[in-house]
Amino acid sequence: MTEQTKDKKVHGVVAEYTDVDSLMAACRRIRDAGYKRTDAFTPFPVHGIDDALGIKPTVLPWIALGAGATGTMIALAMQIWMNGIDYQYIISGKPFISLPAFIPVAFELTILLASFGTFFGMWALNGLPRFSNPIFTNPRFDRATDDTFFLYIDAKDPQFDQAGVERLLGDAGGEQITAVVDDDTPTKIPRFLLTAIVSVIALSMIPALIVAKMRVTTSDKPRFHIFMDMDLSPAKDAQQTSTLFADLRAMRPDVPGTVARGAFDGNLDYLTGIDMEELSMTDAPRAQRLVAAYAQGDDASAQAGGDDASADSGDAAAQTDKTPWLKSNPLDVDMDVVQRGQTQFGIYCATCHGLDGRGNGLVNQRAQRILATAWVPPSNMHDPTLYQDQYPDGKLFSTITNGVRKMAGYASQIEPEDRWAIVAYVRALQKSQNASLDEVPAADRGTIEKEVADVKQQLKEAAEAERQRQEEAAAKAAAEEAEQATEEADADSADDQ
Amino acid sequence: MSDHAIQSKPADDPAFQLPSLLQGLTFPLIIAGVLALIAGAALGHFGVNPTFGMSVYLTSVMYVLTIAVGALFFVLIQHLCKAGWSVVVRRVAELMMVMIIPLAVLFIPILVSFTGEGVLYKWDDPGYAAATGIDTTVWGEKSRWLTPGWFIVRTLIYFAIWGGLAVWYFRCSRTQDETGERTLTESMQGAAGPAIIAFAFVTSFAAFDWLMSLAPMWFSTMFGVYIFTGGILSAHCAIALFTFLLQRQGALRDEVTKEHYHDLGKLIFGFICFWGYISFSQYMLIWYGNIPEETHWFYERSQGPFLSISALLIVAHWAVPFLAIMSRHVRRRPALVALIGAYILVMHFIDIYWVVIPEADHAHEGLGVGGAVGVLASLVCVLGMVMLMVGLMLKVAGNTRLIAVRDPRLQESLAFHNI
Repeated sequence: MTEQTKDKKVHGVVAEYTDVDSLMAACRRIRDAGYKRTDAFTPFPVHGIDDALGIKPTVLPWIALGAGATGTMIALAMQIWMNGIDYQYIISGKPFISLPAFIPVAFELTILLASFGTFFGMWALNGLPRFSNPIFTNPRFDRATDDTFFLYIDAKDPQFDQAGVERLLGDAGGEQITAVVDDDTPTKIPRFLLTAIVSVIALSMIPALIVAKMRVTTSDKPRFHIFMDMDLSPAKDAQQTSTLFADLRAMRPDVPGTVARGAFDGNLDYLTGIDMEELSMTDAPRAQRLVAAYAQGDDASAQAGGDDASADSGDAAAQTDKTPWLKSNPLDVDMDVVQRGQTQFGIYCATCHGLDGRGNGLVNQRAQRILATAWVPPSNMHDPTLYQDQYPDGKLFSTITNGVRKMAGYASQIEPEDRWAIVAYVRALQKSQNASLDEVPAADRGTIEKEVADVKQQLKEAAEAERQRQEEAAAKAAAEEAEQATEEADADSADDQ
Repeated sequence: MSDHAIQSKPADDPAFQLPSLLQGLTFPLIIAGVLALIAGAALGHFGVNPTFGMSVYLTSVMYVLTIAVGALFFVLIQHLCKAGWSVVVRRVAELMMVMIIPLAVLFIPILVSFTGEGVLYKWDDPGYAAATGIDTTVWGEKSRWLTPGWFIVRTLIYFAIWGGLAVWYFRCSRTQDETGERTLTESMQGAAGPAIIAFAFVTSFAAFDWLMSLAPMWFSTMFGVYIFTGGILSAHCAIALFTFLLQRQGALRDEVTKEHYHDLGKLIFGFICFWGYISFSQYMLIWYGNIPEETHWFYERSQGPFLSISALLIVAHWAVPFLAIMSRHVRRRPALVALIGAYILVMHFIDIYWVVIPEADHAHEGLGVGGAVGVLASLVCVLGMVMLMVGLMLKVAGNTRLIAVRDPRLQESLAFHNI
């Protein structure tokens, strides 16, 4: 112990050992002597040194477990709140709170927080961050990474007594026993380092400032592109023009004569709702036009071909419509088809025609409310002129396909099979309004009869009540009239006088 | 580096011989195993239907085969990374991996099941194609790969590669017991790299062929890894369990320490996570994509009795062992590691059962688990298979030492100590 170190704070005592065995023996001795705040420094890992020093297992696994569990909880709570409660948004038809979809995020956040917990927990347990340890003041300590073993007893140990500890370490075979004292290197950060740090921070702001300036000012210089090919892609956007083609359109229409795979199966009756064989006999040119239009797969002309069939299907022209429409649905109508039709009707038709087909859907209601001038109210499906005998299935199909009056054609949105399913559903809807009791399954008739009887009874009572009220009102009116007549008569007589 | 030196015993020490109790169990186990195996398969065949009987048999074969293949992987990977710690338990794994040879023989009934009753693989069944609504083009493409002849050829290739590796490694290891040649270790290490690559392909394709093609319209590229994961997890469990039983009977008392159980426990824990991760990865993509021909497989497993088994797998194959073996204190107690190992081995059977049995419903008649008779048949059959395999393994173990006595890394393994 030298003079210089005498007045400095002593942090502990360190002893050197030349080999593992003497270090381990010394470790056991100081452990048995009851020292708790001890540490050993070796150039390589030594198995069993924890036991020899009596170091308890670390609590780090518990920190990792706690942090990981916190991560799971945060992730689940966050997703349940966001997707299940705060902003409900259907994703691929899954439920709002859909655990399988939440697991990846929960897993990632568990790992993230467990890693952070472990990493920063290790820092905290080791007393980091810390720029220097007093033990480094001993220049001989550098050999801890080379060929010498060190054993350290901290002054904070309740049993610590410098002289006793030095003796004990010496007895245990230690050489070069030294006290660990405060580091006397200046703690002040050098000026040049401060200047450098401040300069780096200042310089790092320049790009951000340039961007900020660019965002608020205009310039007549050419624009600066970091990713030239992404800002100025040679590929055209959908509605841009191009000089490459005569029509200047960048987005190319189908080449005439091409048919998309699976788009055309040759069954024109099915696609038009018209009995083509009969049409070719009565109106051959139109049949040829239709065939040509569909064979080319050109939607626009196909619709035009169908259009002159349905354009005149208005009320006045209905009598002159000579088109041989298909009388019945080409699909095998069963429960599945009708239900499919109901779904499609609900999606595409119900907005205007209403779910019950009475022509009072939400769009119509709004049009009435805002008094839309160009609005033509949608047809009531229960109008007798739209029944199968007057308005054949094929014609209904064609109307869905090509539109009528204000209604647009739905050919591009609904597949032919679904259009036929809608036709089947509309027929079912119409039927539902005109069904007789003997069409109801026998088991359900009793219920319906009872309901009908109840309704009739209610109507009767309501009518009775109404009649009574009217009678009372009439009696009252008659009485008032009589009174008035008397008054008038009095007035007359008064005038006369 | 350790604070105490370990003295290795001479090579002929009785601690390296199979204990007499286990030696005596060899033939009873083999005989009882064969009888139970036949009884179980027959019960499934006559009690339920021929296809079910064959499925029960396939479940038993695949159960022990995945464990044997997992043991082969264990041996390969220890050589590949020149691991020192595992030398004392490697012979146990080697005994398990050579069981691939008898399993190749036991696979023959599955190959002949293409003809006659009990057809397992319904690749050319038009009714199945119609019932699952599979596209004919896809079906046609798959049919080119899934034909009986090519299937048998592939099976032979798989067993040739697995069996060849298993026998070669076992021979090298045993030769070294006598000669102590260092070059044997070096050549085993040299072969481990290519062997692992071959192993990965064979295991994956075998899982596709033998298990995934039970539902030929279904496909999952993750499936090979899924089956492999169950196998390697169970192999670690089986190594821990068998080593523990050997120690209880007096063998390897000083050689295998709690440090080795600790490391086996760490690997078991890791592979439990991996199993959960792989199973979920496979499930989630299919669940999210929601494509009919993919979801069909999981849909069948969410019906009737299989729904409870699916739920059981999540809880009992992943959550329970995950929490059970998470603690270091548990992993450092050999009896607990062996107990959890035995538990996971049971779960692995349920896992394989869950893969195979729903597909036994050949004509889609809603067969399910085949009633009480079907469950009994499955249990008897797999019990017979396990007894037979343990018996055969004890037979091999009786003629060899239970530790690689002249392995150059034995000293390192004996002194192994977790930091």
